[in-house]
Amino acid sequence: MKIEKLLHKLNAFFDTDKYKKRQHIEDLKKILLKLKKKERKITHALQQTDDESLREHYQTELKIIRAQRIKGIEVLQQLKERKKTEYNLF
Amino acid sequence: MHKALLLIVIPLLSYGFWLSDAFKGIAAGVSIFLFGMLSLEQGFKAFTGGVLERILQKTTDTSWKSFGFGFLSATLMQSSGLVSILTVSFLSAGLLDLVAGIGIIFGSNLGTTTGAWLIAGLGLKVNIATYAMPLLVFGVLCIFQKGKQLKGIGYILTGLGFLLLGIHYMKDSFEHFESTVNLANYAMPGVKGLLIYTAIGIIATIIMQSSHATMLLTITAVSVHQITYDNALALVIGANIGTTVTAIIASFGANIQGKRLAGSHLLINLFTGIFVLIFIKELGIAVDVISANLGIAASDNAMKLATFHSLFNLVGIIIFFPFINQQVMLLEKIFIEKRPNIFQPKYLGSSAMDFPETVVESVRLESIHLYENAIHIILRTFGLYKSDLQTDVSLKQLIEQNNAPIEYDIDASYEKRIKGIYSAIIAFISQAGFTWQMTQSSKLSWLREANKHLVEAIKDTKHLQKNWLRFRASSNQATINEYNKIAYQIALHIQKIENFRHEIESNELPLLSLDTLKATIRNDDVQMNRAIETLIRERKITPETGSSLINDSAYMRSIKKNLLKAAETLFLHSATGNVEQQLALNDTEINDVIQTVDAK
Repeated sequence: MKIEKLLHKLNAFFDTDKYKKRQHIEDLKKILLKLKKKERKITHALQQTDDESLREHYQTELKIIRAQRIKGIEVLQQLKERKKTEYNLF
Repeated sequence: MHKALLLIVIPLLSYGFWLSDAFKGIAAGVSIFLFGMLSLEQGFKAFTGGVLERILQKTTDTSWKSFGFGFLSATLMQSSGLVSILTVSFLSAGLLDLVAGIGIIFGSNLGTTTGAWLIAGLGLKVNIATYAMPLLVFGVLCIFQKGKQLKGIGYILTGLGFLLLGIHYMKDSFEHFESTVNLANYAMPGVKGLLIYTAIGIIATIIMQSSHATMLLTITAVSVHQITYDNALALVIGANIGTTVTAIIASFGANIQGKRLAGSHLLINLFTGIFVLIFIKELGIAVDVISANLGIAASDNAMKLATFHSLFNLVGIIIFFPFINQQVMLLEKIFIEKRPNIFQPKYLGSSAMDFPETVVESVRLESIHLYENAIHIILRTFGLYKSDLQTDVSLKQLIEQNNAPIEYDIDASYEKRIKGIYSAIIAFISQAGFTWQMTQSSKLSWLREANKHLVEAIKDTKHLQKNWLRFRASSNQATINEYNKIAYQIALHIQKIENFRHEIESNELPLLSLDTLKATIRNDDVQMNRAIETLIRERKITPETGSSLINDSAYMRSIKKNLLKAAETLFLHSATGNVEQQLALNDTEINDVIQTVDAK
C-alpha cells in the first residue's frame, strides 16, 4: 500500500498534465476570490451613490459579476469531480 | 450681396423704377436672366456626385483635354462663373490638379463667348420669348417629378427658359428706353472712355455676378445704338475681368489649391484685358476683317461685339496657354500653403518597419494616440475635457452646468486631430506589406479595424451633435434631461473604459470587466427607449422629439460600441489568462443578465 501511494505521488509529480490541471484549479480559485472582492467593492459603491445612472451601472455590474462567479464555481466543481474520478481510478 | 450695399441699391433701384418704365423692364430682364442662371446651376448640381466626377477624371488628364472640357462645359452651361466655381470645388476636393484646373479656366473663357453669339445672333433677331414658353412649361413639369435627375432636367429647362425670357425683356425695354433717353450722349471717346467703361464693365459684372448679364446688356444696348461700339468693347473687357470675382468669392471657402486657381483666373483675365486695351486698335481691325469674312455686315455692331469677345479670349489663350507650368510655379509662390497645426503621428518611424513585432507595436501605440484624440473630440462635443473624468465633481453636474449650447467644430477637429494620424496609420500598414507570418497580418488587420471604429464613433458624434445643440436650447425640461442623459452616459462609458485600462495595468480581471461594459451598453439602450416611450405616453415630449431621441440614442449606442471594440483591440493586447477567458460571458449569457436586471 505504501509503495502504491508513493508511486501515485511520483506519477503526479512527473505528470505535467495533472500539474496543469492542479494549476488551473488554483488559478480559478484566485479569480473567484478576486471576483468576490470586486463584488463587495461594487456593493459598497452602490450603497454610497444616489446617482440613478451610476446605480444602474453598478447593479448591472453586480449581476454580471454574480453570473461570472456562478459560471466559475460550476467549472471549479467539474474540475474537482474530474480530479476525484481520475484519483479513484488509481 | 453685402447688407450695407443692399441698403443703397434698393432705394436707388426703387427711384429708378419710379422714374422710368423702361429701366424697370431692363432691371426685370436682368433679374429674370440671373434667376435663369441660378436655376441652371441648380439643375447641373443634380448631376454631380458620381457621373460628373467620373467624366472629370477622364477628360482632364492632359492640358488640352482640360481646355476642351472647360470649353464644352461653359458652352453647355452658358456660365464661366459656374464652371470656375465647380473647378474650384473639384480642385479643393483633390479631384483635379492645378494644371488641369487652369486648362479648364482657359477653355471656359472661350466657351462662355458662345453666349455672346447666341444673344447677338439669335436673341436679337428672333422673338425668343416664343422659345422660352415651352421650355418653362416642360421645365416646371419636370421639377414636379420625384426623380432627382428629372428634377435636374426640369431646372435646366426652366433655367434656359428664363435666360431667353430675360433677353426678351431687356431687348424690349431697351427699345423703349431708346425713345426716352439716349445713352449715346454719355459716350466717351479715346483712352479715357476706354478706361471708364472698362471699370463700369467690371463693377456691373461684380454686382450682377454674371459676365453674361453684362454682355447681354452691352449687346442689346449697342444694337439699338444706346452706347457707342468703342465703349461697348471696353464694357466687354471689363466684364471679362469682373467675372473672375465669382471664382474668387468661391475660393474663400476652398483650400489653397482653390485659391491658387481663382488667382490664376484673375491673372489670366486681367493681363489679357490689359493686353487687349493696349492693342485695341489692332484688335478692332482684326474684328472687322474676321466679321467681313464671316459675312457680318459692317453696321451689325452686336455681331461684331460677339466676334470681339471670342477674339479677345482667344488672344489670352494664345498668350498664356503655353505657360501653364510657369503659372503654377508663380501661383505656388504667391499662395504659400500654411502648414496647419495638425497632429502628427508619434510612433510610425521608418525604423519600426524593420521587424514584424515592432510594426505591430508601433501601429498599436499610434492607434492609442488616435484613441486619445477621438475621446477628446467626443468629450469636447459635450463640453467636457478628459481631465473631468478624474475629478470629484460628478460628470452629470458638469454637463448640466453647461447650459449654453456649445458649438464644437467636429469637422475642424477631425482634420486636425484625426485625419493626419489615421492616414499615416493606414499608409504604414499598407507599406508594411504582408510578407510575414499570418499572426502579424491578422494583428494589423485588427488594429486597422480598431481605427475604423474610432472614426465611426466620431461620425456618430457628429450626427448626434446636431440635435444635442438644438434640443438643449429647448424650453421643454424633459427633452433637455434626456439629451443630458445621452451625453452623461457617453461620458460615463468613456470613464469606465479608462478604468478598464487601469485594470489591465493592475491585472484586475480586465476581460471580465468587458462583460459589464457590454451589458451596460445594452441595458442603457433598453432603459433609454423605455423612458422615451413613457415620456411620449405621458405627453411630456412630442412624438417628433421622441423620434429624434430614439435616433440619437441609437447613435449613443453606436458610439459606445465602437469605442469599446477599439479599446478591446488596443488595450487588451497581451494574452489574457485561459481561466479568465473561461469565465467571460457570451452574448446569450449577457442577454440573460440584462433581462433579469430589466425584470427587476
